[in-house]
Amino acid sequence: MTDTGAQRRFKLCLAAATVCLAVALAARSTLTAQMSLHMLVQIPLLVLAGLLAYHAMPCNGAAVLRPESTHQRPWGWNEYGVPGLVLVSLAGAAWMIPKALDDALTDWRIALAKYAGLPVCGWLLGTSLRRAPAVVKLFFLGNFCWMSAIVGMTYLDLPVRLCNAYLVDDQVWTGRGLIALSMALALFWAANEAAKKRSCDTPLKKHRKHSSNQKSQL
Amino acid sequence: MRWALALVLALLSGTGFVYAVTDGFTALTAEAARRRQVAHEPRPVPDAMLMTADGTAIRLREALRSDGRVAIVGFFYTRCVALCRAQGFITQQLQAVIQAQGLASRIRLISISFDLRERPPDLQRYGHDLQADAGLWQLGSFMRAPERDALLRQFGIVVVPLQFGDFEHNAALHVVTPDGRLAGIFDLDEPGRALRMAQRMSANRRAPHVGERS
Repeated sequence: MTDTGAQRRFKLCLAAATVCLAVALAARSTLTAQMSLHMLVQIPLLVLAGLLAYHAMPCNGAAVLRPESTHQRPWGWNEYGVPGLVLVSLAGAAWMIPKALDDALTDWRIALAKYAGLPVCGWLLGTSLRRAPAVVKLFFLGNFCWMSAIVGMTYLDLPVRLCNAYLVDDQVWTGRGLIALSMALALFWAANEAAKKRSCDTPLKKHRKHSSNQKSQL
Repeated sequence: MRWALALVLALLSGTGFVYAVTDGFTALTAEAARRRQVAHEPRPVPDAMLMTADGTAIRLREALRSDGRVAIVGFFYTRCVALCRAQGFITQQLQAVIQAQGLASRIRLISISFDLRERPPDLQRYGHDLQADAGLWQLGSFMRAPERDALLRQFGIVVVPLQFGDFEHNAALHVVTPDGRLAGIFDLDEPGRALRMAQRMSANRRAPHVGERS
């Protein structure tokens, strides 16, 4: 990958992060008018803004993972990305609680936690994922997918309205969306790991060609 | 070392946020939270002008005070065919129980419509359909939007307008004391608990004027 190519990627990430944040903020009255849009569009956009902003920093391009050297040096703050992923997982769980969505509309402190905290979580997610080996990622991703699928099924099953600000129909759509999200995330991660594994397995000659192709696709 | 510290910080701040959102791990929904808050600390009821079914305008707080009975209050609109219908039947059953147990001198029922378009004839028709005993079960509708919004906010009732003039809303049985405090909120499927609380709240009142109103 050439320098200019990398720079272009950083700029692209920065632009995408800005767009995510701008849409989440500018269209907030529309996005919070429905439960499904609130939970499955606005909140992910805020996280995505932080995640993309992390990838827009040029110094964050290189891989941080150095498992063989951990015997010599003391562990860092976010070794293997575990503390970061713990925090992001708990935030993810908290924002699936119906009361969080209601409160985000009526309580300025919860609204602040949403608009400021979620981009920070996205940033943390970016830096933690770079440090995390596949098994750690699998643990946290599995945990998140399991949780969102169960919450989604609960939303589908419950006859009572969970959010005072939203309608029951909307709750059903949110449930479907959460189940779809859990499947999409798992598939995306599996495809990503498979692509990585394939690029590692191919012989060196082929690998160079392959990886440059892949990167240009990305 | 710093890794362990970071992990502890992450756990603490994450669970701290969940703790804050769930009112200390007690409520997953805003509805559950408001019921707990009210049970813990009764809220004053804001005053509002109401138009009653017989066409007189009353002030809610004054009416509560002058009547002197503990009220079980519900919010509805007469054209509603979903939740309000269930609420209407439950209130009807409550009326029957109150009459049968001779509690009419201590406890009364109030149903308030949050649809400003509903007038006394609508309320009369609704009351007639449910055989509301005018001395025991009073129907009214809000007259001014700002008063209605302030009162509903204090009660924790959220009304979402729908297409074709309908509304989505939460419903419950609210126990209100004569001095204008919201003392308890109960689910529609536990009217017995609401009645017991109303009985308890009215027990320490001075000698009731038995049979005067029923």
